[in-house]
This record gives sequence, structure tokens and C-alpha cells, in this order.
Amino acid sequence: MDKKLLDQLSCQSAQYSAYESNEIITWCGGCGNYSIQNALKRALVLEGFPPHKVLMCFDIGCNGNGSDKIEGYTIHGLHGRVLPLAGACSIVNPSLKVIASAGDGATLSEGINHMIHTIRSNYNFLFLHHDNQNYALTTGQPSSTSPKGCQMNAAPEGVLLDPINALQLVLSSDPSFVAQVVSADIDMMTEIFREALHHKGLSFINILQSCPTYNKGVTDSWYLDRLLPVKEIKDYNAKDIWDARHIVEEKKDKIPVGILYHNSNRKSFNDLFEYRKSFKTNLTQEVAHVDIGSFLKELK
Amino acid sequence: MQRTRIKIIGQSGTGLLTVGEIVSKGLQELGFYFCADREYPSLIKGGHSCYTINFSEDPVYSLSDTADILVAIDKHSLVAYFDTLREGGILVHGYERTAGIADILKKAKERNIIIIALPSRQISFDHGATEQMVNIVLLGMIWKVLGFDFETVQELLASKFEGKKKVLEIAMKCLRTSYDRVPVQTLYATSLPKTKNETILLDGNHAVALGAIHAGMRFYVAYPMSPSSSILSHVAKMASRTGVVVKQAEDEITAVQMALGGMFAGTRAMTSTSGGGYDLMTETVSLAGIIENPLVILLAQRPGPGTGLPTWTAQADLNLAIHSSHGEFARIVVSISEPTDAFETIQHAFNLAEKYQIPVIVLSEKVVCESKLTVSPFKLNSIPIERGLVTGNDLKKLQSEDRYQLTPNGLSKRWIPGSSETYYFANGDEHTEKGTLTEEADPVRDMYEKRVKKLELIKKELPVPEIYGETENADISFVGWGSMRTVMMDVIRIAASKGIKVNYLHYRYVFPLNKKFVQEFAASNKNLHLIEGNYTGQLGEHLEPLMGREFSGKLLKWNGRPFFLEDVLSYIDKHFNK
Repeated sequence: MDKKLLDQLSCQSAQYSAYESNEIITWCGGCGNYSIQNALKRALVLEGFPPHKVLMCFDIGCNGNGSDKIEGYTIHGLHGRVLPLAGACSIVNPSLKVIASAGDGATLSEGINHMIHTIRSNYNFLFLHHDNQNYALTTGQPSSTSPKGCQMNAAPEGVLLDPINALQLVLSSDPSFVAQVVSADIDMMTEIFREALHHKGLSFINILQSCPTYNKGVTDSWYLDRLLPVKEIKDYNAKDIWDARHIVEEKKDKIPVGILYHNSNRKSFNDLFEYRKSFKTNLTQEVAHVDIGSFLKELK
Repeated sequence: MQRTRIKIIGQSGTGLLTVGEIVSKGLQELGFYFCADREYPSLIKGGHSCYTINFSEDPVYSLSDTADILVAIDKHSLVAYFDTLREGGILVHGYERTAGIADILKKAKERNIIIIALPSRQISFDHGATEQMVNIVLLGMIWKVLGFDFETVQELLASKFEGKKKVLEIAMKCLRTSYDRVPVQTLYATSLPKTKNETILLDGNHAVALGAIHAGMRFYVAYPMSPSSSILSHVAKMASRTGVVVKQAEDEITAVQMALGGMFAGTRAMTSTSGGGYDLMTETVSLAGIIENPLVILLAQRPGPGTGLPTWTAQADLNLAIHSSHGEFARIVVSISEPTDAFETIQHAFNLAEKYQIPVIVLSEKVVCESKLTVSPFKLNSIPIERGLVTGNDLKKLQSEDRYQLTPNGLSKRWIPGSSETYYFANGDEHTEKGTLTEEADPVRDMYEKRVKKLELIKKELPVPEIYGETENADISFVGWGSMRTVMMDVIRIAASKGIKVNYLHYRYVFPLNKKFVQEFAASNKNLHLIEGNYTGQLGEHLEPLMGREFSGKLLKWNGRPFFLEDVLSYIDKHFNK
């Protein structure tokens, strides 16, 4: 980590500790969840968000088991449904920084419809897509990102189908912020999360997450050997969706990382309501008897 | 109590809805009370539709299946509905090739039916209109038959076609011609109300939308499904003037997740659907159960299973509402019957959901959703908003463990995320008081019990069922829920005029049920019958063990049609204690 940032973090150790939980961690040794959660805590502290101003929404599975391993307001919901849940929270209570986490099973199978519509709706929250290429908490069945031919639990002869290219799907849905990182690179995750926390609209962070127990073929070093930071690509323009779409389609042997696409001109869902422009309050502050007298008059 | 019964029939899409609406509006302006409902198939054009209006000087809550005046737009509908016209009634039609309906005309003569006929298409063409003006010709005929003045209907037509000058001009000529050509001597004897009743005119869905908005619902999410869909349309129409955020979701699972998330994050949110959509929502109802999150879902019933009958009515999802979702947890199921009830009950539903931190399922029915009634203007600000939230300085005294603290009655503190520096975990996994995950036997047992035992508190605090008519010793008694209330309110008055004492025990709150009240009612009313719009008598199956005896009889109906007055009155004739 950059020395300046480290210094800044150590000055804010109290704020960092506020996120630390006493709960016993139940992840396997070497699991990508440790670094993802650490990077998130770093980013939140560096960007000045205290735990009570953060609402973290969790899908189920290994990352969902982290819902009580980080301090702050959390909600641990149903499989595949965290995106609409987080969307609603971001609409209703914009004073909170909403962060949603879900795995590849939730995002690309159980709730793939929600993924498309969440991107389309451009709700204002940060989404961490934990892609470890398998259903780990149910002991390693293939997911829709598992490589074809890979022998796994419930696929003893090897996975029959080609994987879904998650980023192609995301980028074809007119997103406003798309990044890719690997869980092995905590510094880059921290950097990307920090930027994403300030994006107005949906930030889709595709995290290629190591799973040392059920996805042994794809280790931290396997990922690190193949990184292609888009920042280092000459003429790469993160504002051009076609640069992003080409790179996720064409660089099969490399892993493009960093902010792949960023469109700050797209309005977030909350900004679409012209009739709410004059409201100084949010929806949590407006629960009171609303005058409907004029509507009743029309019924006379 | 004189009740006039009109049926306007024709193919869907031929404009009879417009006629029905204009006639309804006119009756309201003249000061009548009325109830109107539309029978129609689940398609946009073709098939028979029937717009039924019953009106009177006194309040009318439900419909008769018999017509005094039958207004037919086409032959097929005429054939389908002719037999519902009473002996000596009036048939109004605009059918020109009378050879094609010779059979009907013969039957009409035998039954002393007065026929008022005009060549409706020819009149339309004469005024340069297309066939689409046939309905306006019929409107003029109905209005004249009812004996009302031309000015009222003229004004109504003008407001209907406001801004469409050319169409209005033609429509007005059609209306005038048909009104004038109906011979005066055949007027139906309708006298205007002695006092002009000040009413509002709306259906149950509209009332739900108004009640929810009035109760501070700031976020509405739904996926269209008949017969709940018009709630979405009504809320959307009112959104820009109230600031309510409306989201048409990608599916029912999204809708209910967003309603739950909206409530969790601190506002009042709601969704509506019908049986099939509710099926999809049930996993989220269970989540609301374990994280003790308020949730309000309106379930507008139509006959199932499967797609069933999308545009018809039923009361068959009571058990679905009571038993849906895995696991055991507290909930409330409440039913609505007509616009005023809907307006008030939806407000209570939000209070109950927030106070007890539970899902509240509001059962409506197609006949409630779409029946238009004239009712007294709603009382505003009469039901206080009770959120049960920790607020003010108390927010500074909280501990995370307060959120799911084990308390004697099962209720623990809830506060809006972000409102206190003390945060909590709303954990869909089994959890401790702070919300951290636990699989230890004792804490699991205690937290489970905390959630379920709220039912005992709710049982104690929920309003008791209401009795209509005499409290005891009726000649015949009924027990029911939902729309049964409206038909029974009318039936009790009609039966009383014949000297039969009928009473009715109404369950607005259908779950959880209390033993005491129904036991007492059953003890003091021996001839006790169940009335429900389903095959199995679902409420009855819950009540019989509580009553300690069986019903004397069950009046059940499951053909998609609502209960008409005749259904109940003929049942009473057979079963009352003489």
C-alpha cells in the first residue's frame, strides 16, 4: 500500500477498529473474503464513513456469513435477492452509504434478472460481486462462471457448459460504473472501492475471488500472474463503453483490472424523479398523514 | 328501500364501460347511492362484458343478479344475459336486424317486458359518426328511460370528452337524438332522492391507494397482476402531487424485496399482487418473519389455481395468506370489503406491521378491487400513525442487543438504520439479541420463541369481530370475512323487511383468531351458517374447532362470481328458523 495512505490509515486506527468485529471468523484460511472485507474497511475509513452511516446488505453463502463480521448496520437477506433489497434501501434512505455483496451463484443464476434490472435502474449503491467460480458454502458445486470441463462436486465428469462472461453481460446493460479486481490485490481493491464509494449510481465491482478449498486450480498467484491494469493500456478510455466491451471480450489470456467503464452522466434512480426536486427530506423523514383532500374532491 | 338494477351488456371494447361510468357519475350527481361492478373476460376485445349498477336512495353495498333494465349493445350479449331481466322489466337495445333476435323478442312479449329500441348504428352514421358512437346512443336511451333530465347527462358527456371538440359535437348530436326519440310514456318510475347525499365515488383499489398514501406510504413497488394492477396506476397518478416514489418492479420477488427493504430502511412501503404473484413473494415474507421487519402486502384474490380466472372473484387464498412461507413466525391477515373499509384498514395495516414488526397480509378480492361504490367522504387524520420506533433522545441510549432483546411479550426495540450511532445486524440466519449468527441450542430456542409468541400479544390486542344485525337469537346467522360484509349488510335489511331476523359475524381480522368471541356468538345464535367464496370453507375450518361445534350449514360459492343478493336470500328461505 502507498506509504501516504498507510500513514493516513494508521492515524485513523480508531476509526478502523470501529469496523472490527469480535465474532469468530468462519472462513477458510486463504479465503478471498478476508482481503475483500479488509479493503472495504480501509476504503470506508479513508473516505470518512463511520459504521453507523453504512448499511451493508448481504446475500447468503460464504460472503453472507460475513454479515456479522464487520460492524455497521447490516441486513443478511435471501439468496439471489440482495440487489432489489439494497436498491430499496438506497432509494429510501440516501443518508446511508449502501453496499451490497453477493456471490456468482446469486448474481448470475438465482437473481440474474435482478442484476440486469438493477443496472438498468442505476440504483445508488456499491455492489461487490464475489466471483469464486463455485458454490462454496454448499461444498463446491459448479456455478455459471466455473470453467468448462472442470471436475467439481456434482459435475464428476467435468462442467458441461461454457461459463457466462459476467462483464459482457454487465457492459451490455448500459451500466454507469464497472470495475474488475482480484481478491489477491488488496491495494487495488482499496483504491477501486474508494472511487466507487463516490459514484452516483450503481458501481458494479467484479471481484475475482480466490477459493482455496473448492477452486484450487485458480490461486492468488494464478490471478496475479495474469493482471492487465487498464490504466497501463495506452489510449484506453474508461469513458468509452466499447473499449471496455472489447477488452473483456478479447483478452482471454489476461485479466483486465481497474475501472473498466465509468459514465458519470447517467442519472441515478433517485435523480429521475423530477417531482421530488423540491423535497429537502428523504422518504424516511416523510412518514406522516399526507393530505389527500384534493384527490377526494375529484371523486365527488 | 327501492333499488333499481341496470345491466349494460356488450362485447368488451365496445364502449360500454364509458356508458357505465357516465351513468354512474350521473347517479352520484343526482344524489343516489349505488354499487357498480363489471364482469368481463381477460381479453381486450370481444367476449361478453356486463356493467351492473344497483342504485337507491339508501346506501347500496352489493349487487342483485336480476336486472330491472337490461341495456344490450349486441346480439350475443343479449342472448347471454336476457334471462336475468325480470318479468315486466325494460329491455333497451340498439340492434337493427330484429329478425336475428326474433326468439328473444317473442320471449320478451311472453314475460311482459317493455322494449325500447332505436337503430343505434343508423343514428350514429346519420350524425357522421362511426359505429363507436353506438354506446352514446344507448346512453341517451338509458337516461331517458330512467326519467332523468337531459341537462345532467349533457354535462357529463361534455366533461368526458373535454378537449375533444369535434368528437363531442358528434356525440352530443347522437345523445340528443336518442334521448328525444325514446317515447315519454315508457319512462321508468324513478324519483330523485329526497336529500341529496354527498358522496365520493370510487372502487376498492382506489381506496387502498388513497389510504396508503394518507398513512404516509412513501414508496410503492409492484408488478402488474389482475385484479391488483390499478392500485399501481392510482398511486402512480398521485405520485407527482404527493412525492411518493413509485417503482414498477421486474417481478413480484423484486416488488416484495423492495417493500421489505423500504420498510427496513425506515419509510412506509407496500406492494400489491394476486395469488400467483404472492406465491413468489412468500420467501420474503419468511425473511420478514425472522428479521422482524414490518411488511405490508395486499393480496387481491381471483380464482386459481394456476392462472385461473384473472378477471373474476374469489376468497380462496385465506389459507395461503395464513400458512404461506417456511418456518413459524407471527403475522396478521386482515380482509377488506368496500372502499371505506379499504381506506381505513390499510392504514391500520401499516400501524400493525410496524408496531409488531411483522408481515401484514391484506386480503382483497376482485369484487372489492373493482366494485365502484358511493360512500361518505373519508375521514382524514382520524387514524393516528403509530410506527413503534425509537426516536429522539432514546436513540442515544441504545445498545445493539436492544434490537432483538428477549422480552416477556416478544416485542423489542426497532429504530431506523442511521438514526442512532448504535447499529444492529438484521440477520436472516438465526441470531442472538445483537443479530450475530448463532446455532447454539438455547439461544436458538429462545429467539425462535420470541418471534412466535408475539402472536399471543396480537391475539389480545386485535379488534374483535363485528356483529351486524341482532347480537343474539337470530332466525339465521352467518359468519364470514372480506366482501361477505357488504352482501350481508344489504341482506340483513332486506330480510328484516320480510320479518326475518338475520345477523352476521364479520371477521375483518382473520388471523390470528380468538376463541372467546366466536364461542359466545355460536352459543347465542344456534342456527349458524358459514358464508365464503371458496369450495372448502376455509375460515370455517379454522373456526369450528374454536366454536366446539360444526356450522349448521355452509353457503359456499366458487364459480368466479361474487355473492349476489339472490344467492343469500334464497339460502335464507331454505334455512331460517321459522
